[in-house]
Amino acid sequence: MHALMVIRTYLKLGVLNVVQYRANFLFDLLSVGVYLTTSLLSLAVIFGQTQTLRGWTRDQLIALVGIQILVGGLNGLVIRPSMQQLMENIRLGTLDFMLTKPADSQLLASVQQVNIGSIAEVVVGLAVILTALARLGTEVGADGALLFLVMLVAGATIVYCFLLALSTCAFWFVRIQNILVIFQATFNEAGRWPITIYPGWLRATLTFLIPVAFAVTVPAESLTGRLTTLTTLATLALALGFVAASRWFWRVGLRHYTGASA
Amino acid sequence: MRITPSTARTRESSVPWADSAVIAVRGLRKVYEVPEREGGVRAAAGSLFRRRTREVVAVSGIDFAIQPGEVVGFLGPNGAGKTTTLKMLSGLLYPTSGEASVLGFTPWRRDRAYLGRMTLIMGQRNQLTWDIPVIDSYELNRAIFRIPWPEYRRRRDELIDLLEIGELVRKPVRNLSLGERMKCEIAGSLLHQPTVLFLDEPTIGLDVGMQRRIRAFIADYNERYDATILLTSHYMADVEALCRRVIVIHHGSLLYDGDLPGLVRRFSPHKTITVEFEEGFSQAPGERLAALIAPAGEVVEQSAIGATLRVPKAETARVTGRLLAELPIADLTVEDPPIEEVIERVFSSGSSEAPGQDQVAAEITREAERR
Repeated sequence: MHALMVIRTYLKLGVLNVVQYRANFLFDLLSVGVYLTTSLLSLAVIFGQTQTLRGWTRDQLIALVGIQILVGGLNGLVIRPSMQQLMENIRLGTLDFMLTKPADSQLLASVQQVNIGSIAEVVVGLAVILTALARLGTEVGADGALLFLVMLVAGATIVYCFLLALSTCAFWFVRIQNILVIFQATFNEAGRWPITIYPGWLRATLTFLIPVAFAVTVPAESLTGRLTTLTTLATLALALGFVAASRWFWRVGLRHYTGASA
Repeated sequence: MRITPSTARTRESSVPWADSAVIAVRGLRKVYEVPEREGGVRAAAGSLFRRRTREVVAVSGIDFAIQPGEVVGFLGPNGAGKTTTLKMLSGLLYPTSGEASVLGFTPWRRDRAYLGRMTLIMGQRNQLTWDIPVIDSYELNRAIFRIPWPEYRRRRDELIDLLEIGELVRKPVRNLSLGERMKCEIAGSLLHQPTVLFLDEPTIGLDVGMQRRIRAFIADYNERYDATILLTSHYMADVEALCRRVIVIHHGSLLYDGDLPGLVRRFSPHKTITVEFEEGFSQAPGERLAALIAPAGEVVEQSAIGATLRVPKAETARVTGRLLAELPIADLTVEDPPIEEVIERVFSSGSSEAPGQDQVAAEITREAERR
């Protein structure tokens, strides 16, 4: 598969170049450490007062924090840096070079930049999830692990498509770098908690407008055994829908770009 | 050289009108819609809601055909439509109307087979990834263009050798100078061994030595692989060294298509005569010179030991004879004016609306006469 080979090459070079950015890697590690600490502290404060939060126990919420860090890490590994680079390419006109290459332009745009420092978050996220599971004492069987993995991939896909669609807006508005910052802030702040704790309107926003729910809460539900079949199927359907819609939007944007740029 | 649509012959080729040409363009036209607003806050606020647009004709129906292995200079002032044309030919822009065929493909359909056989190099924009070593960017291109490893290594090493960039390719792009970066860009764009090259000002901003090396490399590549090259440049030295043929566009229309000397003949009805006086001839002969070359000639420059004169072509022989007879002349040369000067006059003569070919020539003549 050509696409996989291209992705593999980008990732390989990203790993090879991490040595050039040791400081960057250390800062990533430091920042994820700070983030984890504040998350755990706020959990400690809340569970000093109560035993459950809308049905979620402390250790379940620790698992959720782990999932959030993991998804954030996967996002920061390729998607976010690539989308930032994409908007830069549109602004500077260097997207031209991507379009003159015999490969899928969406693919090239989506994997063009690898920030290998985010591996730190992936590792920390996994460690937190495993710790939480150990404390919960739940045995996650093969099917449970598979379900979790599928939900994780679906969630990450939804986030990717969402960010791609946001970045595609740059074809019309050129300077919209801040749009990614808004997503990031929402993801970091609202994503720390299961969305079931929010009031209805906010829950709807975080599910459909800014799909934090599918990125974090749904995979966490799958690990803690509270995922319904309906939600599972809806998540998969939504992921597929996002893929189709964002690709369609990308093509519209591209047509706009090739039709108008000088 | 214009295309004549071949009606009698039915060829296997998908575009019979392109004939044997590698690049063929027919009636190619591109109109941009650009947003427009008056200055000021109120107008800016208004334009948020109601965008007024204005049509700008970037390329207004051009035709040309380029044969395999030709290196053609594509000339025109800024905004003439050169880059727009190159972008249409490399598949980045849809034309408003007209046709083009490159290697038998319609560029803007962006067939992967087509993209794998051409390259676009822009001197003003770089495509190598900023933060990683050059050689890693090359490897990305290897993956994208599906170049088999042995082929890739052979071509990479050959290009590194030819461009003398062995020292540079392990450094990240941001640590390279402009000239070094350009050489690395060129090597990266040629790894898939394209046979059609669109070069948009490949030597811009480089020092003279670097320009010369890049020129030599392009000529060499053209020879080695029989590549067809369409090149734009503001440096006439590039064009003179590389292109036997030039296509001149101005305000989106084709002004000239032919060889370089022909361009000079067509657009410069003058010759430049440079004279050097014998030693000891110190008397400033300004008025005498002017009288000798009157009525149509003029003194461009004059120094203690010589002068540069511009005379109409038809007068050249008569004026030369008179000069030699009347003045103590040690040396005399008759030349066509430098190509830069000719080009500059072609372009500076353009008015705001697109003038016809003859109109421009007429304007040039008029302007020259006024001086």
